[in-house]
Amino acid sequence: MNILKNIFKVAIRECGNIRSNPIYLFCMIIFPIVVVFFFTSLMGEGQPTNMPVGVVDLDNTTMTREMVRKLDAFQTTKVVAHYPNLNEARNAIQHNDIYAFIYFPQNTTSDLLASRQPKISFYYSYASITSGALLFRDLKTISSLGSAAIGAAKLSALGKTSDEIKTFLQPITLDLHPINNPEINYNVYLTTTLTPACLLLFIFLITAYSIGTELKFNRSKEWMKTADGNIVVAIVGKILPQTVIWLTIVYSFLFYIFYGLGFPHAGGIGSILFLGFISVIAAQGFGIFIFGLMPSLRMSMCICSLWAVLGYSVMGATYPLSAMHPSIQAMAQLFPMRHYFMIYQICVFNGYSFFDAWFNIAALIVFSILPLLVLYRIKKAMFEYIYIP
Amino acid sequence: MEKDSLIFKINEGIHDMCYIWAREMKSTFKDEGVFIFFIFVPLLYPLLYSWIYSSEVVRDVPVAIVDMSHSDQSRTFIRHYDASPDVKVAYLCNSLDEGKALIGKQLVKGIIYIPSDFETNINKHQQTTIGVYCDMSIMLYYKGIYQSATGVVGEMNSEIQIAQSNNFTERDDEVTIKPLDFAEIPIFNSTGGYADFLIPGVLMLILHQTLLLGIGLGAGTARENNRYRDLVPVSRHYNGLFRIVLGKSLCYFMIYIIMAAYIMMVIPKIFGFVQIAQMKELIGLMVPFILATIFFGMMLSCVIRYRENVILLVVFTSVPFLFLSGISWPQSNMPGAWRAIACIFPSTFGIRGFVRLNTMGATLPDIQQEYQALWGQVIVYFFATCAVYRYQIIHARHHAIERLSMMKNKATEAKAKSKE
Repeated sequence: MNILKNIFKVAIRECGNIRSNPIYLFCMIIFPIVVVFFFTSLMGEGQPTNMPVGVVDLDNTTMTREMVRKLDAFQTTKVVAHYPNLNEARNAIQHNDIYAFIYFPQNTTSDLLASRQPKISFYYSYASITSGALLFRDLKTISSLGSAAIGAAKLSALGKTSDEIKTFLQPITLDLHPINNPEINYNVYLTTTLTPACLLLFIFLITAYSIGTELKFNRSKEWMKTADGNIVVAIVGKILPQTVIWLTIVYSFLFYIFYGLGFPHAGGIGSILFLGFISVIAAQGFGIFIFGLMPSLRMSMCICSLWAVLGYSVMGATYPLSAMHPSIQAMAQLFPMRHYFMIYQICVFNGYSFFDAWFNIAALIVFSILPLLVLYRIKKAMFEYIYIP
Repeated sequence: MEKDSLIFKINEGIHDMCYIWAREMKSTFKDEGVFIFFIFVPLLYPLLYSWIYSSEVVRDVPVAIVDMSHSDQSRTFIRHYDASPDVKVAYLCNSLDEGKALIGKQLVKGIIYIPSDFETNINKHQQTTIGVYCDMSIMLYYKGIYQSATGVVGEMNSEIQIAQSNNFTERDDEVTIKPLDFAEIPIFNSTGGYADFLIPGVLMLILHQTLLLGIGLGAGTARENNRYRDLVPVSRHYNGLFRIVLGKSLCYFMIYIIMAAYIMMVIPKIFGFVQIAQMKELIGLMVPFILATIFFGMMLSCVIRYRENVILLVVFTSVPFLFLSGISWPQSNMPGAWRAIACIFPSTFGIRGFVRLNTMGATLPDIQQEYQALWGQVIVYFFATCAVYRYQIIHARHHAIERLSMMKNKATEAKAKSKE
C-alpha cells in the first residue's frame, strides 16, 4: 500500500515536471503531431501522378503524336515539353525539368509500315527510385502498345476476330494481386513505418532526458526521497505519466491512419492496440536501459539518438533487411523499430496471428524488462553522480 | 597607431577573431558532446550507412509456386522464373492457402498461381492467366516478384507467337514479336542501385544534422558555463559582433570542409558508388551549403538554453528533411506548403544539388537555382545570426553592468558602514 502511495507521489511530482518544462510539451505532443501530419499530407496522393515527362519526336507523324497523346493520358505521366534532340532532353533531366523522356527517331512510322522494325527508346532516371520505377512502367507500356497496335491491325486485316487477336498478342496474361494494398499506395507503405519510427525516437530521447535532467537540475536526491529511496518506485512513478501520454499519442496516430485515413489493417483493432502498447513500453524500457548503462544525460541522449536514426534503416521497411549483410541482419534485432515493423506487417497489415510474430513480440518484451538490469546503477548514479556541464 | 583609427580596429578585430576561432577549436576537441557530433559521427556514420545499403539490389526474393497444371509449359515457366535474378522459387505448394501460411511465417514474399487449364488453354489458342499474389509490406519485394513474372511471361508469349505464325526467316520472327522495337535506357544510376539512390542524400544530411547538433551543443555548453547563462562571455576579445560570428563560423567551416571532402570524395570511392561529379563543381556547391548550414545553426543556437535540448530539437527532423528534398517522394508531387517550407532549410538545396551533380552528372549551371538559393540563405542567415548575437551581446553587457553596479553599491555601503 505504501509503495502504491509513493508511486503516486512520484507520479504527481513528474506531472509537475512535465508541466513546468515546455520541452515536454513540444517533444511529446507538438512535434509528434507535426511529424504525423507531415508524412500523411506529403504523400496524400498515394501514388505520384502527373510526373513531368519530355518527348523527342524526330518523326512527327500522326502515329507518334498519337502515342505521345496516349502517354500523356496515363495517370502517372504528364508530357510537359518537346525537345529538338537527345542532348537537350538529357539536359532537361539534369536541370530537373523532366524525370524521363521518350525518343522517336526519323522514319519510325514509315519503317513500321514497311516491316523494317524501327527502334524507339525511352530514357528514365533511377536517381530517384520511386519516380524512376513508376515512369519505367508507363513508358514500357506505351512502347509495347505501339507493337500491339500494329499486330492488331495486321491480324484484323486477315479477318481474325477480336478474341483471336487478343489471344495471339497475349497468350498468357498476369493477374496481379497486391494483397492489402491494391492501389499500391505509398502513403500506406511509408507512413505506417517511418512515422512510428519517429515516435519511438521521441520516446527513447524523452525517457533518457527525463531521468537525466534529475541529475542536471540537481533534483535527484529529492526524487529519491519522494520515492522513499526505492528505485523501482522512483522509476515506475516517473515513467507512468509519460506512458499515459505516449500511449495517447501512439494510439491517436494509429487510429488516425487506420480508421481516419482508412489504411488497411487486416489484423483488426486487437492487433493495433497490442502493437501500440508493447512498442511504447519497449521503447521506454530501452531509454531507461541506455541511461542506466551510461548515467549521464548527454551520453545517453547521444546514444539514443544515434541508435534511433540507424533504426530507420535497419528496420528494413524501405530496403529489406534480407538484402543486407548478415551481420547487420543480426544487429538489427537490437533495434525496437525492427520489431515494431515486423509485428505491424505480420499482424496488423497482413492479419496473421501473433504466433507468426512470436520472436518479435518476445524481443519487445525483453526490451521492456531490460531496465531491471540497470536499476542498481541508476540508483547509485542518483546518489553519487554530479552533473558536469 | 591611433587607437581610434580604422586600421587599428580592423587589426584588433582580426586578432580577436583568430582568438575566438582558436578557442572554439579547442572546445570542439575538449567537449565530448561536440566532439561526437563534429568528428565521430561524420567519420563513422557514412561508413555505416554505406555498409547497410552496399548490396544495392534485392536478389532472390523467395516465392512459393502453386502449380495446378503440372504440365510442360507450367514447368517451363517455373524454371525460367527461378532463373530470374530477382526471385527464387523457394516452395512448391498444392494450394493457395498453403502459400498464404508461408507468407505468414515470413518464408516467402509472394505466391505464383498457375491454373489447372494453363497448358490446355495455350494449346487451344485461348488466353490463360497466371495469378501473382504479393506481400505488399516492402515495395522492393513486390517490384522483384511482379517484374520477373512480366519478363518471363513476355518471353513465353513471344515463343508462342512464333510457333503460331508461319514465318520463314528469323527476321520474320523478330518482326512478328515486336514490329516496333524499343530500348529501355536507365540514363542515370543505370543499375537501379538503392545505395546509389539514397546515399548521396544521406551523406548531405549527415553533414547538415551534425553541424546543427554540434553548433547547438557548443552554444548550450557556453551558456551553461557562463555565470549569467549568457551565450557571449564578457571579455576583451568578445568585443564586437563580426569578430564573434566570423571567428566561430571559421572554426566550423574549417572542420566541415575537411569532413565534406571525406564524405564527398572518399566514401563513394570506398564503396564504389556512382560518382560523376567534378571537383570544381563539388566545391561550388559545398562552400555555400556548409556556410548556409553554419549560419542557420548559429542562428538557431541562440534559442538553446540547455545543451541537451538541441538533440531533442534536431534529431527527429532528419527523415522529414530527407523527404523534403524530394529524393524519395518526387518534388513535383509535394504539396505547395511543404515545398515552401522546404526552402527554409539548407539541406533541401544541398541534397538536390548534390544528387544532380554526383549521380546525374550535371554541371554548376544546371543547378544554378540550387546554389543561388544556398547563397541567398548564406546572406539571410548570416545577418540573422548577427542580429541575434547582437541581442545576446547587449544582454550580456546588461548583466555585467548590473553586477558591476551591484558591487559598487555594496562597496559604498560597506564604506559608509565603516565610517560610522
